[in-house]
Amino acid sequence: MTPPALELRDVVVRAGGRTILSVPRLALADASTTAVLGPNGSGKSTLLRAAAALLKPERGAVLLDGAAAARADVREATAAVLQRPLLRRASVRANVESGLRFRGVGRAQRRRRGQVWLERLGIAALADRPAHRLSGGEAQRVSLARAFAVGPRVLLLDEPFSALDAPTRGELLAELREALAATGTAALLVTHDRHEAAAFADRVAILHDGELRQEGPVRQVLDHPADADCARTLGFDNVLPGRLLGSAAGEVAVPPGACRLTGAGLTLPARLVRTIPLGPVWRVILEAEGRTVLANAPEPPPPGLQPGDPVELRVDPAAIREL
Amino acid sequence: MGLLWDALGEAVRLLTSGDPDTWEIILRSLQISLCATAIAFAIGVPLGMLLAFGRFPGRGPAHAAVNTGMSMPPVVVGLVLTVLLWRAGPLGALDLLYTPAAMVLAQAVIALPLVAGISAAALQQVDPDFRIQMEALGASRARALWTVVVEARLPLLAAVMAGFGAVISEVGAAMMVGGNIAGHTRVLTTAAVLETSRGNFAEAIALGLILLAIAFAVIAVLTAAQQRGRP
Repeated sequence: MTPPALELRDVVVRAGGRTILSVPRLALADASTTAVLGPNGSGKSTLLRAAAALLKPERGAVLLDGAAAARADVREATAAVLQRPLLRRASVRANVESGLRFRGVGRAQRRRRGQVWLERLGIAALADRPAHRLSGGEAQRVSLARAFAVGPRVLLLDEPFSALDAPTRGELLAELREALAATGTAALLVTHDRHEAAAFADRVAILHDGELRQEGPVRQVLDHPADADCARTLGFDNVLPGRLLGSAAGEVAVPPGACRLTGAGLTLPARLVRTIPLGPVWRVILEAEGRTVLANAPEPPPPGLQPGDPVELRVDPAAIREL
Repeated sequence: MGLLWDALGEAVRLLTSGDPDTWEIILRSLQISLCATAIAFAIGVPLGMLLAFGRFPGRGPAHAAVNTGMSMPPVVVGLVLTVLLWRAGPLGALDLLYTPAAMVLAQAVIALPLVAGISAAALQQVDPDFRIQMEALGASRARALWTVVVEARLPLLAAVMAGFGAVISEVGAAMMVGGNIAGHTRVLTTAAVLETSRGNFAEAIALGLILLAIAFAVIAVLTAAQQRGRP
């Protein structure tokens, strides 16, 4: 079996006297895409920085092709794109070539390799423009071109699209996938957006409080959370005792979209706490046996329904996941 | 008003007549102050980097001390250096007192906190993740730090301007460690003080105007370099 291009093994990072990252194993095969999902402060960026050898872990190692590698070799094999496009006060071309310059690539080759990525990411027309006058989307394209230009084996992406508007984000995500497929580059995308993870990755890992809680193929992980924290990260906001919904499992998770105030499904007696309009749907907050339950109602709640009133919540049994 | 007009006429006369004494003083002033600014820059920027990025005990008080140094009276610098360089003083063996080298040293000490303090502020203005992003593209730690310096070049030039502006116009330290010796350590500011004490107000004001013109010329060159490429 081919060893993974890059692997984190038993990596532990500590700061301020506490463990902020603990990853027993996370492997990235050549040409694979992995998304690391987790809430803010879960250690996602720390994981990315450990994978890029930008920080020295307390314990553990980053392996290349299954073998222990020096930090310099890991740095050589990777390129990272951070959340904000941190561009130099120089032309777009100079920015795209800067990683190559750091790696000692000669001027002619720098120009040639930079040009390839300027064209591929649709920014060749901006090549001579000062980088600090670009729009957010253009700047992030430059940032991606700069990382691809060095020809990394593994591209590390730290929420690079989070500050972009939805259409630009979708467009860039598609172009990124194409570029990764064309070059056979492995990629690790850190994100808190499960939809972005689903659109991008073959595999998903979930981090919580610095711990790697779940890892596997994207469909399997997104649909089958391993524990209550993973469930909440994946949008299964309601974590309830199994017996409330007729399950033998200790706890079950249900997404708010599978909870309604009307229609068919399992019935769960609850009390209304409040209703929040969310545009196309109403977010209904309820309380059942001391637990808060979120429901998404496609229709407005019945008139006259007051906080504290009893309601019968309908839960789609197909959406219930045992934890 | 008549005195000011006389002074302006005198300044033009001194500059255009090619008066060797005046030109010698102008050149010496420039040499000493540019040299002092260069030394302050060479030490001040790394010191600013240390204050901006370093992690060592006492960094906070050190930063505060440097910032306090920005308002250090030149006459105090002159006094301390005079005591140090005095023949019987700890650095007396260097025989530097009343030489242009002593004036360079004094002016470098005056400019240093200004350059270091403004440099630290300038470098801290650059996004802290910028350095990490450069390292993440393959830059060594030193190279990444250098890119931060290059990124902060506009405010760093402001640090140079502040340093040069402070030393070209100071008189206390130049007078104390230089001694205002004609043909040796006399500069524009000390010459202006001398002319004033002699009652030659027109000449003194003329020297002051020349000083202003020189400061303007040097700062204008630095400003042009700083603002190059701006729309």
